[in-house]
Amino acid sequence: MPETKSQMMSRRKFLQLTGGLATATAMASSPCKVLYALTRDAGPQDTEEIREMFSACDMCFNKCGLIARVENNVVKKLDPNPKSLKSRGMLCARGNAGVKQLYDPDRLKYPLLRKGARGDGKWQRLSWDEALDHAAEQLDKIGKEYTRCGFLFMAGTDMQSTFVHQFAEAYGSYNVISHESNCLLSRNRAFLDTYGVMPTPDVLNCKYVIMPGANRFEALVTPDSMDLMTARTNKSKLVVLDPRFTKTAALADEWYPIKPGTDMAFFLAVAHVIISEELYDKTFIKEKTFGFEELREHVRQYTPQWAQKETDIPAKDITRIARELAAAAPSAMIYPGRRSSDYEDSTQIRRSYAIVNALLGNWDQKGGLLVPKKVKPGSMHIEAPFYEDNPDDRVDAGRAQMMFDEEGSFKHTRDAVIEGKPYPIKGWMTYKTNPMQTGANRDKTIEMINTLDFMMTVDIAMSDTAWMADLVLPAPSYLERQDPLSAFLASSTCSGVITRDPVVPAMFESKPVFWIVKELAKRLELGEFFDFTVDDFRKAQLKKIPEVAKALKEDGVYNVTGPSFGIHKGKPFKTRSKKIEFYNTRYKDKGIDPMPVYKQPKTIPENHFRIVVGRNAYITQSASTNNSLLWELEKENSLWIHPKSAAAMDIKNGETITVKSHVGKVTIKARVTKETRPDTVYMDTGFGVLSKGLTNIFGKGACIAQILEDKADKISGNMAMHETFVTVSKT
Amino acid sequence: MVKKLSIAAIIMVFLVVSITFAMAEGKGNARKGKYLFRKTCRSCHMEGGSATELSPVSKTQAEWQKTFDNAGDLKCKDEWANLSEKDTVDIYSYLHGHAFDSPSPAKCK
Repeated sequence: MPETKSQMMSRRKFLQLTGGLATATAMASSPCKVLYALTRDAGPQDTEEIREMFSACDMCFNKCGLIARVENNVVKKLDPNPKSLKSRGMLCARGNAGVKQLYDPDRLKYPLLRKGARGDGKWQRLSWDEALDHAAEQLDKIGKEYTRCGFLFMAGTDMQSTFVHQFAEAYGSYNVISHESNCLLSRNRAFLDTYGVMPTPDVLNCKYVIMPGANRFEALVTPDSMDLMTARTNKSKLVVLDPRFTKTAALADEWYPIKPGTDMAFFLAVAHVIISEELYDKTFIKEKTFGFEELREHVRQYTPQWAQKETDIPAKDITRIARELAAAAPSAMIYPGRRSSDYEDSTQIRRSYAIVNALLGNWDQKGGLLVPKKVKPGSMHIEAPFYEDNPDDRVDAGRAQMMFDEEGSFKHTRDAVIEGKPYPIKGWMTYKTNPMQTGANRDKTIEMINTLDFMMTVDIAMSDTAWMADLVLPAPSYLERQDPLSAFLASSTCSGVITRDPVVPAMFESKPVFWIVKELAKRLELGEFFDFTVDDFRKAQLKKIPEVAKALKEDGVYNVTGPSFGIHKGKPFKTRSKKIEFYNTRYKDKGIDPMPVYKQPKTIPENHFRIVVGRNAYITQSASTNNSLLWELEKENSLWIHPKSAAAMDIKNGETITVKSHVGKVTIKARVTKETRPDTVYMDTGFGVLSKGLTNIFGKGACIAQILEDKADKISGNMAMHETFVTVSKT
Repeated sequence: MVKKLSIAAIIMVFLVVSITFAMAEGKGNARKGKYLFRKTCRSCHMEGGSATELSPVSKTQAEWQKTFDNAGDLKCKDEWANLSEKDTVDIYSYLHGHAFDSPSPAKCK
């Protein structure tokens, strides 16, 4: 039945009415004087101005291209940009919910200064001038008293974080950390130390994927997620090793509830089978790898029978999988995964993944590990001054065996700040990162904050980290920002460039962090290092890639669709031996095992469980749990516990229970489910907040960081979050 | 003229010997080295400059070692002569420490 114009009008009117009602209800239920975003009542249909604007999503780190539908200056809907090859023309649940990050009644609206004790949540409103004057004063004071290195900077993954780094450089502090040490640094370390580069897996064309721990269909929806789905329809095989029955496990061909912490045993046994049965490409091994004989000797002891005892996976299956994997090579892979912040030997665990990949000969092959050519934009150089009184090195130096100098280690930095050694750090600036929720052992983060003279946070919402700060500065959401160009890799569809222009003007008094650091620089007589606009910066970036500008304007994204495999023929690897290293001589020189040596994970004490960390498809860490649309899908987290274990303690589904570790204690509802091992429990991240400024979730659920112990990977300094044992009891 | 040349030669030899010695000993200050590299070297060794574009990842660690060991052979050896011994060791630490095949290869900036 054809829709008439009048029918369309009345439907729109209906939606507006209910939208208005919802807003009115929200206002009525809140006692505080908060400004709300009001959607205007639309006038007659022909005065409606409808625009479609390009942007890049920021609900996770993927930066999927999107098209925002704007009616009368209000963003109504976010749709995928079909030309965004990286996102395979898709925008996930989180991406769609971006509208509610923009129109969030809980948004930070103006600069706030703490009144009362840290964590009290008492704030005084400041003007921007007052706020910036105060911050600059503190930066200057701390810089004089404790050297410029006495101020710590932590910027999350964001298209404007480069400006925070530039500010830190001009200011003179080398204490700059990212969130990556709570995430994937040990994976990067392992692959870099094997291949000389962190390769991208070509899941799309792969015929046999083993996915240890990673949860691509739920955790972060990257190109791999879509490609894996496509590959499955093309009859590729997926084997998942995970103590939890995740959605990825549910969609796999085979799932093994592997004993947590034993991945390395599995892969060393796979290597044993491939080598002893000579299922490898002899030419590839001879020409492209280093240390094969040492590896052969090393894995002799790691038989499938031995691995069965460690992993709880039958030896016959390990052997069969190894043979199937080798038969599918080179279009076969051990998926490198992303977050590797699990065990104290997480780097060595990933080394075993990298080594098996190398045995499969899948380097630079279709369906294997690729290094597509990334677009290289130009940049703006700053000639930062050198502060002679600065200490020689970062505050977290020397605590990990091979830390990435430019990423640092949150855990080691936090310890150093608390200890005041090797030198004091008294100031902290955070941008777009929430260590209060994502850094294991929340009490330690609070302890660290309490040693500081001054802490400032730039954020969109009153996260738990902002809640603890002295000065909170409101930033605009991604839909209100103009950002520099950002080059990205898109796996088998090569690479590209994306950017952001404001879809709607910045709301309330929010200001982009670029403007904030520029203003701070001016006040600190460092203005010369920020004497440019985002447009100027973009021009400098486009100098090397002028063809990009047109595509960005017309398509909202620039795609490079050149070949992504077979492009490294004949080139040496960026390793000491110039080959893929089974045996790492640099490790040997530093007293680190040159090949992964299996260590049994600690035995779980009686009446305890191991707790593991993970994600689901609608929450990205802590940033999205308070989002009104996503919150409807999950209002609070719960502890996954196996029915056998629950029954032993007479715990029923939905019952409130207490979970306790050596570092903290939380109460949470139980979710009794077979989707986890009897010895393993789990909860989503991002709940149990301290911040009353997150009104949907305050008082709901539990904060996993509160109970996670902060062990670290010895080699990279990456946080190790799966080493915690907890007790569970009725409350 | 001969006297000047021989003095320069002596300085070069001294520099090379002491740099090698210092590098064998261990660390310079890589952060100071980054600042010095940008101040002294980058103006020529950049895109569009009068010399080859250079950054730490332009060479492997072994190649940087070789370059510094043979500083006397470089075209810019006069500029090198102006640097103090400590400065050269610092620059070496920066370039070597973040080389192509180092544990922390410099990110392109």
